[in-house]
Amino acid sequence: MAGTLETALVQTLNGVQFGFILFMIASGLTVILGILDVLNLAHGELFSIGAYAGIGVFGFVIGVVGPPSGVLGGVVFVLAVLVSVLLTAALLLPVGTVFEALFLRAIYDRDQVYQLVLTFALLLILLDVKKFVWGNTSLRTDAVYSAINSIPTSELVGLNYPTYNVFVILVGIAVVAGLFWFFDRTKTGRIVRATAIDREMATAIGVSTDRVFTLVFALGAFLAGFAGAMAVPPTAATLGMGTNPLVLSFVVIVIGGLGSLRGAFVGALLVGVIRSWMITLYPPGEIAAPFAIMALILLVKPEGLFGTWGETA
Amino acid sequence: MKRTEPTERDTGGIGRRRLLSAIGGSAVAAALAGCSTLLSDGGGQQSGDGGDSGGSIPEEPIQAGLLTFTKGAPGVLGIQAQRGAELAVQRINEAGGIGGQRRIELDVVDEGSNPLDSYNQFIEEGKEVTFGPISSGTHSQIAPEVEKNEVVNVGTDGTVTTLYEETVPDPTYSFRFQNYDIMEVVTMAREAVERIGADEIETVAGVNPGYSFGEDEMRVFKQAITKLTGAEVVYEGFPELGASDMSNHITSINSEQPDVTFSSLWGGDVTTFVRQASANDMFDNTTVFGTTLYSAAGDVPADALAGTDIYSGSRNYYWGHPALGNWQPGRELFDAATAQDGVTVPTAHYMSGYGAVTAWATAVEKAIDLLGTYPSQGQIAQMLEGHGFFTPAGYHNMAEDHQGSSNSFAGAMVYDDDLGAARLDDVNIYSAAETAPPPGVAGSAWLDSWSS
Amino acid sequence: MPERVETDGETRYRFLGVEATRREAVALALGVVALFAIPDVTRLSDSLQLSVIHQGLLFGFAAVGLNLLLRHTKLTSFGHAAFFGTGAYATAVLAKYAGLQSVGLLLLGAIAAATVMAALVGALSLRHTGLYFALLTLAFGQLLYAIALGQSALGGSDGMPIRPGPANQPLLLGTTFEPAVYQILTYYLTVVVILVGLFVMYRITQSPFRNALDAIGQERTRARFIGLPVRRYVWAAFVISGVYGGVAGGLYAVVRQYVRPEGTLFFLRSGDILFMAILGGFRTLVGPLIGGVVLIFLQDVGQDVTQYYEFLTGVVLLVLVYGFPRGIVGSLRSGGVVSTRLRQLRREPSAVADWARSAGRTAERKAVESLSSLRIILFGVD
Repeated sequence: MAGTLETALVQTLNGVQFGFILFMIASGLTVILGILDVLNLAHGELFSIGAYAGIGVFGFVIGVVGPPSGVLGGVVFVLAVLVSVLLTAALLLPVGTVFEALFLRAIYDRDQVYQLVLTFALLLILLDVKKFVWGNTSLRTDAVYSAINSIPTSELVGLNYPTYNVFVILVGIAVVAGLFWFFDRTKTGRIVRATAIDREMATAIGVSTDRVFTLVFALGAFLAGFAGAMAVPPTAATLGMGTNPLVLSFVVIVIGGLGSLRGAFVGALLVGVIRSWMITLYPPGEIAAPFAIMALILLVKPEGLFGTWGETA
Repeated sequence: MKRTEPTERDTGGIGRRRLLSAIGGSAVAAALAGCSTLLSDGGGQQSGDGGDSGGSIPEEPIQAGLLTFTKGAPGVLGIQAQRGAELAVQRINEAGGIGGQRRIELDVVDEGSNPLDSYNQFIEEGKEVTFGPISSGTHSQIAPEVEKNEVVNVGTDGTVTTLYEETVPDPTYSFRFQNYDIMEVVTMAREAVERIGADEIETVAGVNPGYSFGEDEMRVFKQAITKLTGAEVVYEGFPELGASDMSNHITSINSEQPDVTFSSLWGGDVTTFVRQASANDMFDNTTVFGTTLYSAAGDVPADALAGTDIYSGSRNYYWGHPALGNWQPGRELFDAATAQDGVTVPTAHYMSGYGAVTAWATAVEKAIDLLGTYPSQGQIAQMLEGHGFFTPAGYHNMAEDHQGSSNSFAGAMVYDDDLGAARLDDVNIYSAAETAPPPGVAGSAWLDSWSS
Repeated sequence: MPERVETDGETRYRFLGVEATRREAVALALGVVALFAIPDVTRLSDSLQLSVIHQGLLFGFAAVGLNLLLRHTKLTSFGHAAFFGTGAYATAVLAKYAGLQSVGLLLLGAIAAATVMAALVGALSLRHTGLYFALLTLAFGQLLYAIALGQSALGGSDGMPIRPGPANQPLLLGTTFEPAVYQILTYYLTVVVILVGLFVMYRITQSPFRNALDAIGQERTRARFIGLPVRRYVWAAFVISGVYGGVAGGLYAVVRQYVRPEGTLFFLRSGDILFMAILGGFRTLVGPLIGGVVLIFLQDVGQDVTQYYEFLTGVVLLVLVYGFPRGIVGSLRSGGVVSTRLRQLRREPSAVADWARSAGRTAERKAVESLSSLRIILFGVD
């Protein structure tokens, strides 16, 4: 594979794939921020718990299903992986619930800085909880990545691109669609949005903000866990893996506009693709690239691309 | 091996006296060389020539400090060094201690956060010798402190080239045992020429960790490979440490199809890279040559190495060469290492810890032998300069420039099902003269002086 | 010598323009004595290290600067390591490339660099308030971190030594010293700088400027309405707070003679500086300094005691948020949580049982709430 056009296409796809993972993380962060007005510093740790827990769940589910063989086997395997990812994400629901109801609820009316201290304290605690549960060394799941890659997809159109990455992009699209559907079309989603737009008015028409807040925080944790389980098969779960995605998510939501789901989507893809091109064209700029993009966008559009959470999701 | 006084035949024609003098004269030196079974039972105090020196040697244990990574991603390297140092200390103590009297107590501290404070605490606690660190940045940071504190430090790794060229240009108390950057990179440049042929290498690329170590290694590799082959550098990527996604770097390699791809990735990053490279069929397009890829030996899964084309260096120690069946000291070291906690197979970093302790201990033994008393820090430092000693990895020399000088190992990295880990196949050995500048010559000046 | 004054029926003492109650004056005198005595105290015990306390004081001093913003303008900077790191790196660059050896000149360089950096970052990020401001400062900090990491002239991740001249050491009063003496002398230098810095900060908080900042912090629009140049005032406060960080960073570089991006510029250092202010008590002047020493000490000692020292720090922060929101100094003050509870306890020892009962009730209520919330997640909001 040497064609310039093909390389350009694959590099862009690499960026899109990275962008979708980033979106899964940043979307949870931005929804929590938009509705609860809390910047959850422990979000990266929820992501990494998703990765660790995902390894266990994959191991269990795939042990039951066995490696893929034939078309039907392939479909069953992909479904099994999806089920594992959803199960992992579901494991984080109670974590999110407890966080919100037990820790955060008591201090909404305090200075915002206490919320930062609180979520940072939770970050530190989760870091060592992970160390206690999963140990100090990195963990890996060996079955998923190569097995999914053995199913031909991009090869069918003459492209050399790992099937797992195709899988991530497709799942990413489904998550985006699902989130927009949830906030636009379902009753619960509309209530959540109403709360975001005007907390007092929502209370006045009988919405329990406590419950909405808990729901939103649990949803954020769910998304972080989902992202962790999706991201782990090509790499490994490590204790420090939460930091980078957290900081990159900050960049994404600042670019997109704090609390804007649409902004997080555009921001994540932008960061993913531009970072990808940076690595190709000017490799030393890899680490600085996202921050440079952010600074640029803020100079042009200080409120971020999509402002804050508002009338539309 | 029979536990009786060895005969000339048992020891391959070398008598006990000759053996002892060959490896430095004492029971401790013999134990560390892995030859204690060639001595009488256990080789304790009574057999060490350098052991009994009357009452002039203090009896209290020697307090030693080791600065190494004990956790997190670099723990893959650091724990190996720790176990190596621990085994060396154990062997010294079993052989009766330094000078036949002084046991060593090794205090291990994580270098992950505030290593300078940890080092200073060692000094405050009155450590008589310190070993470590692993990180190059930390090494640059503490080497000047070592010189000021005047307590001998034998570096395990911290392989940055500029350490004895710029940071501490004229060291007295700071030594480094393990092969440093120039040596391991030149080893791999020569290995690439050896395996592929100088005329066949026209383009090279690099995927190296995005911090000082990776950038330094790539710079040296470029210099060496262009001198050796005249090749053109077509791509240089620097993924962050612990990067989860290297597909961009891999796609760039696929697009450029370089004859050689150089990599100084280590630990968990190796698995991520190799696995994602396989998924993108990168090994159809290039051959990877790496300095520290084998540091992931116990961590990289079988499926990741299937169908790859990788050669890795292993600094100054590869456990499988000479073959375990033919080399008793190697066999014993391997067995002892794999019985330790957290060592699947001993890697080069294992020897970093083992060898640093050995260098110091054998030098002290030699000094005791010469002086008849326990040596001062200055005397130990003096003795270490130009000091030759054995480990199961072979013969080492601590050159006058305070940089250890040893052979280098490199081979094809494959998965071994019986071992449950990676091994190196078809190992080549390079002498220090081939991989390092002579003492007093700066690395880049030496590379510049090569005729291309 | 201190002068006695009567204000609002209270006896106060005035010295160099600092006015304090008797209790405060005693605490102040004790604090100063303690600061100067620390090098001797640390010699008594192996577990107390001068370098650790010194580092805590330096980061704490940066937190004193950050506190000017936090306490009065209600702006939360999550990027103060940027100025700490700028000061530290400026010192290293001047030592390496300009060959400057004098500690005084190196520190002046650090101050100049931090001032420029704070002016720049302030101009760009002060358009926003709240979390947006926090995130922007964080991002600028990370940008600087990425730059330091990527520039080989700045040593990349390996960092840079501060070892100028033939002596390989910055010169104090034109002289070199033994390492141990150098450590103690630089410590006293830090103490002097801190006392001067605290004094300046005290004067600022006694000035009309502080009142203006308070007004801005309470309600920006109103402040603008009454004719305060809000932008310019906040910007000035930001620069001052950055300079404190720069001085601390410059001293850090001079003391440790080595700077690395991780230890000076990484965003977790920004977090540390912020949490020091809150831990010590951000409604007080010296709280952030105490918070600095306590947090660094906690991290250092924690590492020796348990491998789960992050957990330990986390729990301390949790206790802080729920039990002592006014921080260490704030809670110890008269009228603070500690003295109130102590008084209660002296009056009625059985109060402990009441507290335990109420804590138990709270935990029970929270558990029930969590369960009902879980139900909502599964079945939706009704």
